[in-house]
Amino acid sequence: MNWISRHPGWTMVAAMLGLLAFLWGLAIPLSAAPAPIGPAAEQFAEGARITVWLTLIAGSAGIVLGVLGGMGKLSKFRPLKWLCDFYVWLIRGTPLLLQILFVWLVVPTILPESIQLSDFACAAIALSLNIGAYNTECVRAGILAVPHGQVEAARALGLSPLQTFMDVILPQSMRVALPALANNLASLVKDSSLAYAISVVELTMVGYRIQAESYQPIPVFLTIATIYLILTTAFTTLTSALEAQLQTGQKR
Amino acid sequence: MPQPAQPNTERPIIVARNIDKRFGAFHALRNVSASFSEGQVTAIVGPSGSGKSTFLRTLNRLEKHDSGSIVVDGIELNDDLKHLDTIRREVGMVFQSFNLFSHLTILRNITLAPMRVRKMSRADAEAKALALLERVGLKNQAHKYPVQLSGGQQQRVAIARALAMDPKVLLFDEPTSALDPEMVNEVLTVMRELAHTGITMLVVTHEMGFAKEVADRVIFFDEGAILEDTTPQAFFTNPDHERAQAFLAQVRHGF
Ligand SMILES: Nc1ncnc2c1ncn2[C@@H]1O[C@H](COP(=O)(O)OP(=O)(O)OP(=O)(O)O)[C@@H](O)[C@H]1O
Ligand SMILES: [Mg+2]
Repeated sequence: MNWISRHPGWTMVAAMLGLLAFLWGLAIPLSAAPAPIGPAAEQFAEGARITVWLTLIAGSAGIVLGVLGGMGKLSKFRPLKWLCDFYVWLIRGTPLLLQILFVWLVVPTILPESIQLSDFACAAIALSLNIGAYNTECVRAGILAVPHGQVEAARALGLSPLQTFMDVILPQSMRVALPALANNLASLVKDSSLAYAISVVELTMVGYRIQAESYQPIPVFLTIATIYLILTTAFTTLTSALEAQLQTGQKR
Repeated sequence: MPQPAQPNTERPIIVARNIDKRFGAFHALRNVSASFSEGQVTAIVGPSGSGKSTFLRTLNRLEKHDSGSIVVDGIELNDDLKHLDTIRREVGMVFQSFNLFSHLTILRNITLAPMRVRKMSRADAEAKALALLERVGLKNQAHKYPVQLSGGQQQRVAIARALAMDPKVLLFDEPTSALDPEMVNEVLTVMRELAHTGITMLVVTHEMGFAKEVADRVIFFDEGAILEDTTPQAFFTNPDHERAQAFLAQVRHGF
């Protein structure tokens, strides 16, 4: 942990490279394992890649949604505030599985015929909307934590409201919001498993299929659990490094 | 003792007429009128809650005045955002609590506004920032963060940050009130040097020594109105109003 806070930049690079190497190289050690793991090594690796893609896509979109939502919730423009309040209320008050099924079953009927959404896209959209709502609350709290004097100083220097937000409020609020956002991201790695319900072949789905074929749930689920643990650890390391990076100026 | 700088022109750079400001039912500014010439150094004094900060903050619209008119360098301060942008470029402000951007280094604190607002290149902005830091005696602190500096150093950076925009007017709201006593002088020294450069300064302060020695003019606020508007000599030796006499007596006892 100490090393991470002293070398946040390197830690981020290392965690990223580690994650990529893990995803691309995963099949090699797994294929050396005995049945039922070895023969299915490539499936495990593919499942892990899908899980990571879902996490990265929904995680990034969720940050954007969270920032927009957090701003919207603090907006003086009432209808926008109400819209954002409604969004958070709706998403946090309903199960994620329902949201995934809703996007999968209902959205294609609304869209024109020419646009076909893949199962993966539906899962990514639902997960983005979900984490976005939770992120909205974190970003809002972060923005509220920025001392008003910082805003006054920026405005007095002639920065526009947008520049004040991008250069002063956002970076400072992220510093406050990041631990909570990181938590949400770690949850997302695991929550993405619900995409199995709409037949996205992510990691959990892979495990389910292989144990169904081999009738050996224990080794299969141990393997799956290990891969999840490695993934969540990589994401946690990544975010704590980012946190350390943003902490500069906060403490000595 | 250095002679106070005389205003080099009589051209008014700020003209405030009949300003009123209320916070809810509270009447914070009552029909305040004052105009400030280019290069003039004005000390604004008065008891706590008398409206000094509120007046200063209406001049760059950190507070909106309810009625009256404020004209800065020929531009009316109103809801027109173009006017506001222009005025904020001309009017810098130094706050009691410094308000340096805590996530940026000292150098970035100073270069941010020139780069964003004046569209200066990074190289030019940094060269200028380093020159300003040298002027306030902090050149070797450029790559530190605000928390790593003492209060006096932070306030000197805040002055450099305001100067980086080449303002015509600098507003100071009790720049030394949050400082430990041993740091007050390093900030006052910088302000004293500034006063001789011809920049227009409005300084809300409890430092009567500074007001007496550096200011061209003293304005005394009481209960939201200007009660005295005169020279330091006249104000400190023979104020017209009883409230000002009482204020001075109290201040003298305090020091
Ligand atoms: N945002 C605000 N909302 C409500 N009341 C305010 C606000 N700002 C100032 N006031 C009130 O207006 C009055 C004048 O405040 P101001 O800060 O201008 O006084 P001041 O002369 O600067 O005093 P001090 O020497 O204590 O700084 C005070 O009574 C204060 O409580
Ligand atoms: Mg005040």
